Amino acid sequence: MAGLWWPARPAAGALRAWAPRGPHRGKTAKVPRRPLPRTPWTTRGPPPGAPLPRSWQDKRPVQEQIPGLEQVTYAGKQYFVPWLARPRLPRWERGWHDPRHSPGPRYEAMPLYKERVCYVCHQRTKMLEGVRQALWLTKTKLMEGLPPKVLSIIDEPANQLENEDERVQNAISHARVWITTELIPKRESYCPVLLEDLLHLCRTMASKYPSLSKRMLARDYKVAAAWERESSILQVRGMNGILLNAINPLLPVASKDEILATENHILETFHPISPTIDLQEVNVYEERHDTGFREGYPYPHPHTLYFVESANVRPVRFRPEQLRAKMLMFAFGNALAKAKVLYGDDPKVLEHPVVVQSIGTEGRIFQFMVFQLNTTDLASSDGVKNLVWIDSDQYMYDYIRYLPGIRKKVVKFPPGIYGYRPDTFKKFLALYLHGAVQDSTQTQIL
Amino acid sequence: MAAPRGWRLAGQGCCRLLHTERSAAPPPPLYPPVVASHTAKSKSAKRRRLEYFYQQVHEAPSIAEKLRLYGRLQRLKYVVYPQTFSLNADRWYQSFTKTVFVPGLPPAGAQPAGPGAPDLSELRSLACDALLQEHFYQRKRERPFLYREQQHVPGPFLTQLVSSLSAALGSSNPLLATSCLDLKPQVNFYWERGETVVCRGYRTGRIDPVRFQIDDEPLIQIRVPKQLPEFVPLDYSVPGEVPVINHKPDKLPLFKRQYDNKIFIGSKVADPCSYGHTQFHLIPDKLKRERLLKANLADQIEVTYRANGIASLFAWTAAQAMYQGFWCEADVTRPFVSQAVISDGKYFAFFCYQLNTLALTVKADQNNPRKNICWGTENFEEYGTRNHFFLPSLRILCAPLL
Repeated sequence: MAGLWWPARPAAGALRAWAPRGPHRGKTAKVPRRPLPRTPWTTRGPPPGAPLPRSWQDKRPVQEQIPGLEQVTYAGKQYFVPWLARPRLPRWERGWHDPRHSPGPRYEAMPLYKERVCYVCHQRTKMLEGVRQALWLTKTKLMEGLPPKVLSIIDEPANQLENEDERVQNAISHARVWITTELIPKRESYCPVLLEDLLHLCRTMASKYPSLSKRMLARDYKVAAAWERESSILQVRGMNGILLNAINPLLPVASKDEILATENHILETFHPISPTIDLQEVNVYEERHDTGFREGYPYPHPHTLYFVESANVRPVRFRPEQLRAKMLMFAFGNALAKAKVLYGDDPKVLEHPVVVQSIGTEGRIFQFMVFQLNTTDLASSDGVKNLVWIDSDQYMYDYIRYLPGIRKKVVKFPPGIYGYRPDTFKKFLALYLHGAVQDSTQTQIL
Repeated sequence: MAAPRGWRLAGQGCCRLLHTERSAAPPPPLYPPVVASHTAKSKSAKRRRLEYFYQQVHEAPSIAEKLRLYGRLQRLKYVVYPQTFSLNADRWYQSFTKTVFVPGLPPAGAQPAGPGAPDLSELRSLACDALLQEHFYQRKRERPFLYREQQHVPGPFLTQLVSSLSAALGSSNPLLATSCLDLKPQVNFYWERGETVVCRGYRTGRIDPVRFQIDDEPLIQIRVPKQLPEFVPLDYSVPGEVPVINHKPDKLPLFKRQYDNKIFIGSKVADPCSYGHTQFHLIPDKLKRERLLKANLADQIEVTYRANGIASLFAWTAAQAMYQGFWCEADVTRPFVSQAVISDGKYFAFFCYQLNTLALTVKADQNNPRKNICWGTENFEEYGTRNHFFLPSLRILCAPLL
């Protein structure tokens, strides 16, 4: 009763009070070492003749320093004793090939193994340089803001829903507040619901424009596209987002002059970082092009890709820059796969550019993108480049208040949406209506 | 002067005072009212506590507060699963929910004719496109994972079908144009029906209502801001009886758990779309047709569809009624109507439900002639080798959406 028989505080440097003993001794998570204190030795290095401090000396294992010395293990005893070392026993061989317990062939033995490495961009690739890196990889020129053709659809008063603001705010409240019996829903539940609600609102415009009903959504589809870019093979593979397919392709957004003017544009590099950083390097691959759908699909042309970034945990979630880069890569991948299917595998400048739109959101902030594929000749950095228009970081609302703010027993801040901006949904709707609407400024582009 | 004062008091109490006008209000009582105890272990005390509880719920300032008070007390309750493998579950569920099952569809109202009528061939092509996309054109894994076949093709097909059909029918039906589409929403309902004696625990021997909870997750749900019109009048006498089962629900089998008593239609009370239109359910992998046939339970195929329809629709319509302020002591004054389509991707069954009464507790059900009605079709193939691909059932499929 006078004092505790076990130490109340763990030893200095120990991460936890209890650590496993026996064969698993030392296997807990170690305390990360703090940065070294700033002394003349640590900033400038030790003087030439001085002996190194103990922690900087080259520590080789005892077996290397004293040859012939072997660890005494309990292998001979055939049972564990705590004062002898753990033996390194040879790996047990089954003796026969069991397909359910075999590790599989090595990479070098696989039929699709190639010496030359290929860089793959998939849906979890977070690129370091973001949009700049994606622009270099896809040989694209960036234009800020949405193209004037799409902006003119926004300005047309006939392209608006009835009670648009009220319905959009209901959709936001539904996704953010009303969807669960708890007070605050998680991002994994509210983000896809918000996108579905907005898409449902856009689909109600089919009564005004019947060609809108000739579209089909595809979820969980896989795209494959491969190209060569200055002696690196690049690929875009895998499931990406929700794709809206249409019967008719989108008309090119940029004029021929603008496309030819991109020849003078120089792609931005970021030496010393390699443009293929953060892409997965694979040696076993197959270069193929696949839109995700078979031949004869009644809705062959990709129209818009919707990306939902709904990870609950912030480190896992894509930052806006990385989300824009992912949108660009996959829009390019879909456009390239479609171009190869339509115009063949030869790299050339396309007569009829392929346009794919892309919208990405994490529940509050929207990124809009219109990508036009002008050329499939991507090996060199000269010549005609592709074009992309990006409208980044469009806030649909500032924040949601779940509980009323009460000051001195008076409700000062009622619960609801704060800072709603109607322009964001207008752009969303304009990108949806693009291709089905004859806008007023449509001129002969080709 | 005690005697004249006492006579006067007695005269005021027992004698009728003729030839006097009641000009003033009767004097306030001198003693508080004599009522039963609040905390005693007696039937009258229990009755008084119940009355107090009912009064509190009646006087709740808002619907959310009413729902909170209604489900505040947590006790062990039977968890009813709409998609269940239990044998003959539809008769049990009918007895729990006081529902009469009528085969076939309800008497249809006048179909909208004229320019607003939907073009069935266009809808048929949309449906065919959705079917072909999921089954053939979109490249998917050859073999889905174990017990995930329903999510692989039939689930996306139904989702695509419903979203494109509701968008296409929005022009002819203004209600659908203002509807809200939910994917995999939560639908919950909690109610009490019948009485039983508590058999173990510290409350042994007391008479308790039998409590039920449904936690359902339909594949897709359409909610609308205006209520659907009733199929039959509120006090319509249905030809059919509610099955009476003289066994405890444990025999079904049904198991008890204690947790939050949730009442939810898919979104909170503040949502303007607080009435239901149609639900779409997908039969799970463990209750598929092939598995039931292999287990020699061919007659239970219809039963699974019916049980799912009755339970899901009862939970949804009753939750909608509670969102409007009705509950077992304040019965509905207008019928609540919803529809459901239940399928396993190939075979479809259509159900319509009309909620006429929420008063299912023993006390409220004593003089209650009203019954809930569920109309349901048999399940039949939507598409196959027949030449009239889709057409007759598409008409029925679109009828709920109109």
